[in-house]
Amino acid sequence: MPSSLSNLRALCAAIALLFAFAHPAAAQLSFKPTAEAVQEDKLLNALKEGDKITGRISIPDSMASSLIQPAGRDWRDFQRSKLPIIGGVAILGMLVLLAVFLMMRGRIRVDHGFSGTKILRFASFERFTHWLTASCFIVLALSGLNISFGRVLILPLFGAGAFATMSGYAKIAHDYLAFPFMLGLVIMFLIWIKDNIPGKIDWQWIKQGGGILSNGKHPPARRFNAGQKGIFWIVIIGGALMSVSGWFLLFPYLPANVTALQFWTVIHAVIAMLFIAAMLAHIYIGSVGMEGAFDAMGTGEVDLNWAKEHHSLWVAEEQAKGRAPSGSDTRAVPAE
Amino acid sequence: MKSFLAALAFAAIAAFCVSSVLDTIQQASSVAYTTSGARVGDPGNNLIGPN
Amino acid sequence: MARVKFLCDADRCIECNACVTACKNEHEVPWGINRRRVVTINDGKPGERSVSMACMHCTDAPCAAVCPVSCFYTTADGVVLHSKDLCIGCGYCFYACPFGAPQYPKVGNFGSRGKMDKCTYCAGGPEADSTPAEYAKYGANRLAEGKLPICAEMCSTKSLLAGDGAIIAEIYKERVMKRGYGSGMWGWKTAYADSPTG
Repeated sequence: MPSSLSNLRALCAAIALLFAFAHPAAAQLSFKPTAEAVQEDKLLNALKEGDKITGRISIPDSMASSLIQPAGRDWRDFQRSKLPIIGGVAILGMLVLLAVFLMMRGRIRVDHGFSGTKILRFASFERFTHWLTASCFIVLALSGLNISFGRVLILPLFGAGAFATMSGYAKIAHDYLAFPFMLGLVIMFLIWIKDNIPGKIDWQWIKQGGGILSNGKHPPARRFNAGQKGIFWIVIIGGALMSVSGWFLLFPYLPANVTALQFWTVIHAVIAMLFIAAMLAHIYIGSVGMEGAFDAMGTGEVDLNWAKEHHSLWVAEEQAKGRAPSGSDTRAVPAE
Repeated sequence: MKSFLAALAFAAIAAFCVSSVLDTIQQASSVAYTTSGARVGDPGNNLIGPN
Repeated sequence: MARVKFLCDADRCIECNACVTACKNEHEVPWGINRRRVVTINDGKPGERSVSMACMHCTDAPCAAVCPVSCFYTTADGVVLHSKDLCIGCGYCFYACPFGAPQYPKVGNFGSRGKMDKCTYCAGGPEADSTPAEYAKYGANRLAEGKLPICAEMCSTKSLLAGDGAIIAEIYKERVMKRGYGSGMWGWKTAYADSPTG
């Protein structure tokens, strides 16, 4: 049976061939099946800063697909060690500065005394916008500071239960007063931008230090001097940063990315500390720091002598337009 | 003073209105984090309390 | 007292999700709240690994460190628990948590998202042990009954281990020695700053 023998031979050859091909696979099997397995160590070492180990998840929550994000510990360290330093230096530093300034310079008086004649500085809608933004800002600042530092500063005074209840309401106020605050920012930007474009005259004002360091010296200014323009732009730019970062935090499920949220909380917190410090200076100079200044936002009408000393060019413009008393009775004392 | 009080009142009313508007987009995680096929019967309220 | 931990031996995990189901059942967890989940790394590629992840009950827990109202506390066993009476739902724990453990009842309107829920290591909460009040807020308290977390107890491949950290680490090391490979003690470096071996 030569044919069957050759058949057998062919079969053997085929089997041998099969083995020859199968051999590498068999050799691989003798290796550990896990040689290519993912290693936590390797993944952790390969992570860039703020990155995370992610995988596939069977629940429709994209944030759940993040397995390990070591950045959470960095965020904890920021909250616990860096933020108190930033906030402490900015806010306490500003309070100390203002206290020293008050002691050294005292209250800035109206050099020529009150004239008794009033000039309208802010119309009622402007005052409304200012106080809308300001009242929201105060609540937002206090509730925000409470979130950051209340646990250390206030909790021991009230106890955990009362503090948590208070913080719960503060958080609700923070979340929803953010919206009228943002509206106030937009209106302020629209109604005051035209008076806040920096110009040559501001440079003069800055060179003379705004005249705040020496008595009786007042560099000329239009409706807003360089210092006030500075405050305006701090509010607009700071407010915009607070709004954008706050928007992400109010809708955390839109970025749906914990790394992005960590970034925005850091921005929100750092800008907030600087913003609060700047506003402390604004509140100081608008109330305790300068005689006659509060009237501008209080009744809206300021004393003519105050206006002449601090906003000489603005007074002249208003008088030229016939919107202000000429103040000839006070001309005996020069405005500057 | 009038502008100040008006501003306070407006801020409070605006905040309340915004909270009402935002409540309309509120979504329970029992809906957000499940697929429709998995929603059979009562989602349960243990651990999270009623509503 | 023992310092209890979770350890997921990813080389044994078969992604059956029974731990997730057991957790859901034990505590009557509502839909959409996931105290435990299984994440698959390199899904569909050679060497893919699945890891069952929940709150790791970290040492110096980031959530506890950042909580504005200090609602977290660590038990004598090293379990990180929180009080839902104090929680204000601010989400700070979620930003800080390396493992995505905190869960919230509502999404959409941040202002009224509700109080945080997370894995309790089957140890309940600040309420009196094994009371209906505790069950309604935190779920079953198996630890008070001398039992370990249900997810680890019923794991069919004994991939998920719970118990004294030193003992489960030893078990894992023995396994790695015997079989000659191990993909690591997932999360331990981040949670406990211990050096994972094997």
